[in-house]
Order: sequence, then C-alpha cells, then structure tokens
Amino acid sequence: MPKILSILLLILAVAAGSCKSGGSGENAGGEIPDSILNEGVEISEEVMQDIVQNISSPVEMAAMIKDLGVPFSNKYISPTDRVGNLTTSFQQSLNLGIYAADLGYLNMNNKTSAVVDYLTAIKTLSDAIKVGQFFDFTTLKRLATNSKNLDSLMYISVHSFNQMDKYLHSNNRTNLSALMVTGVWIEGLYLGTQVYKATPNQALAERIGEQKLTLDQLMLILDKYQRDNQYTVLLEELQKLKSLFSSVVIYTKKGEPQMVEVDGMLTIVGGDESIVEITPDLLNNIINTTEQVRNKLINL
Amino acid sequence: MKKLIFLCTVCAFLSIALKAQDISQLTAQCAGNAGDVMYLKDFVVKLDQGTPGGAPPTARYALLLNKSIVYRFSICTAPNSDGEAVLQLFDLNTLLGSTFISATGKDYPSFDFKCQKTGVYHVFISFKEGKSGEGVGIMSYVKKL
Repeated sequence: MPKILSILLLILAVAAGSCKSGGSGENAGGEIPDSILNEGVEISEEVMQDIVQNISSPVEMAAMIKDLGVPFSNKYISPTDRVGNLTTSFQQSLNLGIYAADLGYLNMNNKTSAVVDYLTAIKTLSDAIKVGQFFDFTTLKRLATNSKNLDSLMYISVHSFNQMDKYLHSNNRTNLSALMVTGVWIEGLYLGTQVYKATPNQALAERIGEQKLTLDQLMLILDKYQRDNQYTVLLEELQKLKSLFSSVVIYTKKGEPQMVEVDGMLTIVGGDESIVEITPDLLNNIINTTEQVRNKLINL
Repeated sequence: MKKLIFLCTVCAFLSIALKAQDISQLTAQCAGNAGDVMYLKDFVVKLDQGTPGGAPPTARYALLLNKSIVYRFSICTAPNSDGEAVLQLFDLNTLLGSTFISATGKDYPSFDFKCQKTGVYHVFISFKEGKSGEGVGIMSYVKKL
C-alpha cells in the first residue's frame, strides 16, 4: 500500500507540474487570497470576469503605433536591470504587466536582440508570483534568436500572458491579475503618449482620449482592493489621470451595422461611431501626467 | 483491487493532461488558421447539452474593443465535439456578426469586424441546436483603419 501511495503522489506531482495548458490547479502563490483582501466586496466575481476581459492587450497599442509607421525607439521601454529590486507580489505583478507591454513593442518591431532581456525579466517575475509554468522561456528564447519566428514568438508571448491571467482568476488571485493588467495599460498609455509627443497624430490623440473608458473599467476593478496600502498609492496615482480624463468628451454617433461578403470572407462594419473631443492643452496634461505616474509606478 | 484503483487514477490523470494538451493544440491551430493576423485573445469553451425547448447554453465574454481597428473573430470546434461551435458578436442587444448566418445556413470560420466605436462588446459562443461541445474562439488584430 505505501508503494501505491508513493506512486500516486509521484503522479500527482507530475500532473501538477504539467498543468502548463490546463489553467487549473491549487493556489500555489502563497499570496493573500482575494477573499481576505475583499471584505465588503461590492462587485461579484462573475461581474469581475465580465469587466476584466481584454481591458488592455500587451500588443494592441504597439501594433497600432507600428501601423501608423512610427519608428521604434528604445527610449520608451522600461529598463530590466531593476527586476532584482522587485520583491513584493504587488511590485512583481505590476511590473510583469509593464514588461509584457514592452515585450509586445519589441516583438512587434522585430528587436530580437533586446527581447531576451525582457523574456528573462518576465520569467523571473512570473516565477516569483508562481505563474512561471505558463511561460515557456526556453521555447521563447529559441524563437527570439531567429527573426523568421516572429509569428510564433508573438503568439506564444501573448498566449502565455493570457494563460497567466486566466490562472490567477481561476485561483482566486484576481488582485494580481488586476495589477498585471494595470501594468500593461499604463505602459501602453506611456508608449502611446510618448510617441504622440515625438510624432503628433490625430488617430493617436483619439486613442489616448479613449483611454478614459479603459481607465474607468480598470479603476472599478482596483477599487475593490483599496484597503491595501499599496493599492491605495496606485489608486491615488491613477486618480490623477482619471481627473484629467474626465474632461475628455466622448459621444456616440448612431448608425446601422453593415455586413458584406467578399471572396467568401465576411466583414462587419460597426454602425455606431465614437467621437473623441480632446483639447491640445488637455492632451499635453495627460501626456505629462502619464509620464509622471508611469515613472512613479515602476519605482513603487 | 489496488491495481484497479491505481489504473483508474493513472487513466484519470492522463485523460486530464491529454485534454488540456488537445485544447492547447486546438487554440494554437485555430490562431494559426486565422490568417495573416495577430493573436490577441482566446475563449476556450466547453458546454453541456441544453434542455429541450430551452435556450442553448452559451458562454459570454465582455471585451473592450477599440475604434479604427479591424478585429478578426474565428471559431474552431474540437474534433470530438457533438455540436458545431458558433461565435457571435454583440453590441448591447444588437447582433453585429456571427460565424453562422441562419438565414442562408452558411458557416464561416471567421469574420472581420471594423470597429468604429470604442467600448464594451460581447462575444457569445454556443453550439448549434444546443448540443454539447468543446471549441475555441480566437480574437485577432488585423490592422488599423
């Protein structure tokens, strides 16, 4: 019987280690579970799931900037030499999101030589918050050494990030997921605003203004954790941006959606159109405040 | 008896591991088949059969989509699935697009959505005739308009 038990334990250990693609398992983080942080929760977990989906993608802002034809600059990305100083799960999760956005920007611009540093930083941080099993560092590092593998590199990078996020949700650690998403968002906004500062562009100005909607969603999630001191500081910083974004006017022009089929491919054109009104002064204030907030957050 | 317990345990673990791998492969395959686009998000769905006369079981996801971006929504059904997966995109109560057009009976592996309004949209995934099934929806970035 002891022999069978030890075999069963071995299988359990192997299964736990191989949950790379399963997204299920025990809370391995040793973190404060949401249930303790969230006394007096006002948003149900179901609603949280509804809100969090796709608030901020680690590649979407970078893809848009690339489509606008703006050249790459390494001035906009966060240095990786401070990873060793990030010791709390709060710092690690927030910066994991920041580096994920930077990795997206690097990948998008095929800067494979710098990618390995960012992969290493993300691996270190994801291991620290116990989601490293979703980050296939060896494969990603191999793919990064060959520029022909860009599609695979992009897919595995973004998929790994999504898997980490899903795992944190399913293991009652949505607080860390919220921080990762916040990190992605602030770095994406920083990237967008810095690019705008260097090469002003109407489409980018609109995209920056639209972040009002994303920030509203993000703060709704983060408010849930305001009892924690570190979140209070984070919320105070984001509140500075929210106050500015409150002056951005966004309204909707009604329209009918249209569906066309061309060569067997279906395309739908959304009917409603959002219009963003943002004054140059307000935009400048948002750009400057974003820089201050982002620089403070990476040093929290 | 001990051997039977041991074998059952091994089978259960292997089955879980293989299923996870299958879905992971299906996700990668579905993202690859979406074309020359950039993967953003996947929606892995496993639904039980619906009750007779009732609404088909549906998985729902809220997404924040951005103006002036063309997104591609693709759907793939797992090979062992009873039902065929259908992905629909809604803006509040308005159905914007679907991988299955009931009026023509035609299926599409994906559709593009030219987003003109930044906001929250919903993706619904269900299986035809309320059957049980497993599938993956993929959202990709096509281009900036």
